Amino acid sequence: MQGYNFAYLDEQTKRMIRRAILKAVAIPGHQVPFAGREMPLPYGWGTGGIQVTAAILGAEDVLKVIDQGADDTTNAVSIRSFFARTAGVRTTTSTAEASVIQTRHRIPERQLRGDQIIVYQVPIPEPLFRLEPSRAAARRMHAMSDYGPMQVKLYEDITRFGRVAVAYDHPVLVNCRYLMSPSPIPAFDNPKLHRMAALQLFGAGREKRIYAVPPYTDVVSLDFEDRPFEPVRAPARCALCGADDTYLDEMVTDDRGGRLFACSDTDHCAAILAGTA
Amino acid sequence: MTALLQARALTHRFGRTIALDDVSLTLSPHEILAIVGESGSGKSTLLNVLSGCLTPQSGDVMYHDGTTVRSLAERGERAVRTLQRARWGYVAQDPRSALRLDITAGGNIGERLMAGGARHYGHIRAVAARWLETVEIDPVRIDDLPRTFSGGMLQRLQIAATLVTDPELVFMDEPTGGLDVSVQARILDLIRSLVRSLGLAIVIVTHDIGVARLLADRLIVMRHGRIVEAGLTDQVLDDPHHPYTQLLVASVLPA
Repeated sequence: MQGYNFAYLDEQTKRMIRRAILKAVAIPGHQVPFAGREMPLPYGWGTGGIQVTAAILGAEDVLKVIDQGADDTTNAVSIRSFFARTAGVRTTTSTAEASVIQTRHRIPERQLRGDQIIVYQVPIPEPLFRLEPSRAAARRMHAMSDYGPMQVKLYEDITRFGRVAVAYDHPVLVNCRYLMSPSPIPAFDNPKLHRMAALQLFGAGREKRIYAVPPYTDVVSLDFEDRPFEPVRAPARCALCGADDTYLDEMVTDDRGGRLFACSDTDHCAAILAGTA
Repeated sequence: MTALLQARALTHRFGRTIALDDVSLTLSPHEILAIVGESGSGKSTLLNVLSGCLTPQSGDVMYHDGTTVRSLAERGERAVRTLQRARWGYVAQDPRSALRLDITAGGNIGERLMAGGARHYGHIRAVAARWLETVEIDPVRIDDLPRTFSGGMLQRLQIAATLVTDPELVFMDEPTGGLDVSVQARILDLIRSLVRSLGLAIVIVTHDIGVARLLADRLIVMRHGRIVEAGLTDQVLDDPHHPYTQLLVASVLPA
């Protein structure tokens, strides 16, 4: 496309973001500040993820964009066409074919490979955000590994609700050192973070933070010894493909209480139906 | 016997005000030391420096951790935080600022345990229930929010939340301030029985001579950032030498 640099951002900006990414990879789970740019979409729509993707994208890459597991939702369609126009890269909806996957709220059901990179869109990068209002104090807590208060929050959940009440964005400890927000993925997806073969990059546009989990890094969900972490999943089968091991979306079908469950990962669901999963 | 805590020539100013002026003191294990003086005499600043919350402009605080004697500055922030989380305690005057009011009583007591690495929900609850009983709060209130507690109960909850890690040294800043007289008496009774049974060393800041007489083994009197008199509690209070101490003792209302 004329008038734009490859993948929209200018080369200096991409270099700055790559430096932040390198630092983030070197210190797994640590939030690295970066000079986030204005992007042609509103904050909360993936400005962080889109900048990370722009910085790592090459002409040979094949891009897949997921929003809530689906490839055909507004956010996914618009970001995919954005890079198709500004970078001219090939796009796909197939998890297996993609080399870069930008995602919001989900990790694909299909196991990722070492030659793939997954980029998460992150609204709130600071896992201590609701416990410690001061950003400076929160950074000190990270520096000192002072994560007791986070455990207190889990204690409170169990005491009041009988279980940990967060169904998404369940805090994790990366490489036995940094507490990290996995972005608002369902707790069901947390085990996939652990020792994933693909490089995982996290971009928060409004908060201007980048963090990363290198391949095969330990990622442990916080829990108690006698109340182990349990990923939750609707107790049903997918109405379309019949899978009983995938994350399901609940859909209301009429106004008489009718509902059905279907795979949130549309690509995986289609692959099962086609017999290629 | 080696000193547990030793302050050497502490000096600290806030602008032109001298809060601490060449203050030195020694605290032995299991000893209760009271710091008395009027408002603005530097006693709270001294407590903050001793407990590692404030770095003095000159002088240092030596702490004997059972193996070595090293200053807080030399140990570094991380080590001092670890001490503060487990082997030391701090009881503030206002429990509302020290406790988490939107977290249940059990969670408040468990916080220091979890900060120290406790990860067994059942154990944490059992310990919290035991401590509630120790500080005379009905254990059925373990899941109640502190905001439903009375002032005296809040202070007892704070004491439980501090002592749960079995510290050897506790700093107290006016622990009975702002409470009515009968509640004060109960808290003092509780503190007195706990320190004797647990063998704690305590540095307690108070402006109440009565509190000092009841609890403390030794007493230091501060004025304008200096120690004007120090000695055994009974000795100082029954036979004050410095005119300021005489004034303090004389100004206590007869019971």
